[in-house]
Amino acid sequence: MKVGIVRFLGTNCDYDCKYACDALGIESEFLWHERRDIDSFDVIILPGGFSYGDYLRAGSLAKFSPIMESVKDFAKKGGRVIGICNGFQILIESGLLKGALLKNKNLRFIHKEIYLRVEKSRCLFTKNLDDRILKLPIAHADGNYFCDDDYLKYLQDNEMIVLRYSDNGGNVEDKCNPNGSLYNIAGICNEYGNVFGLMPHPERSVGDLGKDGELIFSNFLRASDV
Amino acid sequence: MKYVIIVKPKKTILDPQGKAIKKVAERYLQNKIKNIRVGKYFEVEIDKRNDELIDKLAKNVLSNEVIEDFEVLKE
Repeated sequence: MKVGIVRFLGTNCDYDCKYACDALGIESEFLWHERRDIDSFDVIILPGGFSYGDYLRAGSLAKFSPIMESVKDFAKKGGRVIGICNGFQILIESGLLKGALLKNKNLRFIHKEIYLRVEKSRCLFTKNLDDRILKLPIAHADGNYFCDDDYLKYLQDNEMIVLRYSDNGGNVEDKCNPNGSLYNIAGICNEYGNVFGLMPHPERSVGDLGKDGELIFSNFLRASDV
Repeated sequence: MKYVIIVKPKKTILDPQGKAIKKVAERYLQNKIKNIRVGKYFEVEIDKRNDELIDKLAKNVLSNEVIEDFEVLKE
């Protein structure tokens, strides 16, 4: 079991992800964005940060890094890929997940702890967590998920919505929506459940920092389910 | 050859930046403004005319078709 943590120019949550892997005894290694051979890894993390300074659109320039071609092949073969925050933006820009992440509705960088309800979905990273309420930090300026009505229905019909902003009782309401995301969406997965993108930071809720992020990271170890 | 590419948020997309600017502008001008929308402007220079190449650049790099429309102008 080995996790690859990708580093783009401007990634800044790489050590947070390494900290989370270390805390759970998961072997991990940093992967420079020019690297192409990633087949020996079981899970690839695209961490948060400001790749390429968020120039043009958040995540839009990182998608042209050499490693992203390999990540696409890796995902196509069923490899598990998780994109956190800027990593989610990169997955969206690369087409591995669909939709768009717009500027937060209030135009501010939001940094706080929020509650999320885990939806019943096909996501491999949230197995056995249906209906759980998680408390995780968010820290982003462009996390306002958007897609058209047809695609929202597609996400719903195919159980691809993974996390929604809620209150601490799991009620999904407008007032719990920090950034204006459509349908309070905080995380989605692809049709096979092996590619997962989310705005909250599970790696900052592991070990001494919290427990809820561990629930997602410990699912990395369930290789037998894939 | 110089091209100008303008990228705009799609009409159906809420543009919070434009809204914020409109609010400030109305206060400053003490006048109503119907609408402000914010886009991006690019100048691209290449040796020889190649509309196809520029179209590819505008579609796949400079804009995101989920949320933005683009327009290519030649100078």
